[in-house]
Amino acid sequence: MNAARPAPDAWPSPADLQEAFLTRGYVADDALATALRLVVALGKPLLLEGPAGVGKTEAAKTLAGVLGTRLIRLQCYEGLDAQSALYEWNYARQLLHLRAAELGGLGGVTDEDLYSERFLMARPLLQAIREERAPVLLIDEVDRADDAFEAFLLELLAEWQITVPELGTIEARTRPHVILTSNRSRELSDALRRRCLYHWTEYPSRAQELAIVHARLPGVNETLAQQVTNAVHALRALPLGKPPGVAETLDWAAALVSLHADHLDAAGIRATLGAVLKLREDQLLAAPTLQGLAAQAAAGHQSGA
Amino acid sequence: MSGLGVIPPDLASQVSAFTARLRDRHDFLIGPGETADALRALGAVDVLERREVRGALRAVLSASPEQARLFDLEFNAFFRVEGAAQPKLPPLLPETKAPGTEQQTEAGQPPPPRPGQQPAPKPTRAPAPDDAPDPDEDAPDSQAPGQPLDGDDTAPPDDAAVPSLRARLSPNAAPGQAVQAGGDDLPELLRAASALVRSLQLGRARRLKPQPNRGPKLDARRTLRAAARTAGDATLLRWLGRPRRAPRFLLVIDGSRSMGADATLLLRFAQALHLRSRRVEVYAFSTGLTRLTPALRQAAPGVPLALPDLGEAWGGGTRIGENLLRLAREERARVNRDTLVLILSDGLDTGEPALVSRALRDLRAQAGQVVWLSPLAALPGYQPVQRAIMAALPFLDALLPVASVADLHALPRRLSTARR
Repeated sequence: MNAARPAPDAWPSPADLQEAFLTRGYVADDALATALRLVVALGKPLLLEGPAGVGKTEAAKTLAGVLGTRLIRLQCYEGLDAQSALYEWNYARQLLHLRAAELGGLGGVTDEDLYSERFLMARPLLQAIREERAPVLLIDEVDRADDAFEAFLLELLAEWQITVPELGTIEARTRPHVILTSNRSRELSDALRRRCLYHWTEYPSRAQELAIVHARLPGVNETLAQQVTNAVHALRALPLGKPPGVAETLDWAAALVSLHADHLDAAGIRATLGAVLKLREDQLLAAPTLQGLAAQAAAGHQSGA
Repeated sequence: MSGLGVIPPDLASQVSAFTARLRDRHDFLIGPGETADALRALGAVDVLERREVRGALRAVLSASPEQARLFDLEFNAFFRVEGAAQPKLPPLLPETKAPGTEQQTEAGQPPPPRPGQQPAPKPTRAPAPDDAPDPDEDAPDSQAPGQPLDGDDTAPPDDAAVPSLRARLSPNAAPGQAVQAGGDDLPELLRAASALVRSLQLGRARRLKPQPNRGPKLDARRTLRAAARTAGDATLLRWLGRPRRAPRFLLVIDGSRSMGADATLLLRFAQALHLRSRRVEVYAFSTGLTRLTPALRQAAPGVPLALPDLGEAWGGGTRIGENLLRLAREERARVNRDTLVLILSDGLDTGEPALVSRALRDLRAQAGQVVWLSPLAALPGYQPVQRAIMAALPFLDALLPVASVADLHALPRRLSTARR
């Protein structure tokens, strides 16, 4: 390992990390806080898996904020190759340089001129290992990338160096804090899993989700926050094609707040349903459940009033 | 933070014993490197805080949700709370018996594991909001050799035995039983599987690769290198194209009583397909749904296929609609245009046909092809009049017979005919 690691004690404890996350509106449970602590202390990548919308990407962003370092994000997709993730040569500028040299009568353009830093375009992975201060490198939705890209990552995550054929080997200045996220759309290899710490992120409990709503939307009415949280949990119990994540809970609560709602009612649900259920079939399937919840909320509101 | 960075020698030896236990009992991929990482991880947390110790070891030693659950059970059994009552529950998992050997004493009460024995894979469970098992829960193990750690853990019950219990209580289900799908037709099935994998080309990859012929995009790097041969003039153009991509398979096997031997034939075919391609997902359903992929992954080729008690997923009644709907939801992210969905069922169902339609519409919208294989379709004069089949037909690319190995051999040809 060539990249330097700071002493483990220089990093916050899991409890401190949890508190720092909370001040940034992210409610991290004990296990996640411990796993993140190990990312910075051990210098190992963390594979975060879980259903869509539980805050995996947000965890990386918040970690960067807490550590006061840069977040470098590589969004994976089908067809992503090492070149797009690592570096590319600016061919257009290289050609222009050659033509300009010819026209200007300079001649003698060497490989060293053509393949120099000047024409090198750093992509996220190269940027990450060239940073002076260890950044948080988020390799998002790694399960969407092909097997070949996953194999390429193995080398990078093990050696913290990359080889540009024309320039040679570039070693990491500092080892980035790497977080990989996956929705399990493809089974990742055992080799990648073995190189990573692992944490499964689940939908939060009602109490946790309520805390998230309050942390993210400080002005939200308590009754509304509880009703929205309960409704989202009831929806997740249905066989929906796309169950709502935490982001949908926050969007829904924010949408209701923008309509000046202080409790859930049928009209409010109708107006804002698109914020929480994104498939027509799901909206139809959930209609009876939502009607029941609206009636229940309205009855509670009247008795409270 | 009193214990931060200091690992008592006792704890170090216990961690080694614990990692060995995970490796031996549950086939965790743990070597000396992982054990060393576990000890380093303990140096980064407060070892007097049980929750931090568990979180740190879990992050290092587990690599999937299934493993994380097993880890919690083993951790709580190994580092049990002093004075806590030992739970009176069956062993951790229904164990997979070595293929060819038998006698499980009773459903849900398998014998304790022997060294080197394959543990039963745990079916993937859909995430459940509030009823998910708490990782703090203690697991049963009367042989736990670990020392107690400080902590506030209690010993609530494990729910590992619940599915098979529910299977026994369900009016539509038979008692859970181990599945024996032995047969000497593996070579034949492997040939059929190879032919299917080779013949199926559902789509092209999005990744651009150098192509010998013209592709849709200029390959600047190779073109510039080739230009060296023509004094810098890029006259020899090189191209990037999109190669054909290997297909994925999603097999869903109806394991209800009415399917009889046909289900075990398809189970063996699924195993053969799995040996030929990494991109195979296999599920079985009866009244409930179970993912079989991990079990097939661990099954040794060349010996009769034996699976553990599949509970609600085998040998009971049939609920096609709700299980296919659950499958469509669970596999939503994995099914894409390269996926061939193969559903094996006779379509004899007492459930709601509307659910079948909804599930197949979802699958059809995402998959490359959806094909229903029915043993009844192999009968002369067969008419697709079963309610589930009628509900499914508008969303199927083909309804094909499958009652023998010959039908499986004919599958590639029939599929290509269906595509035209």
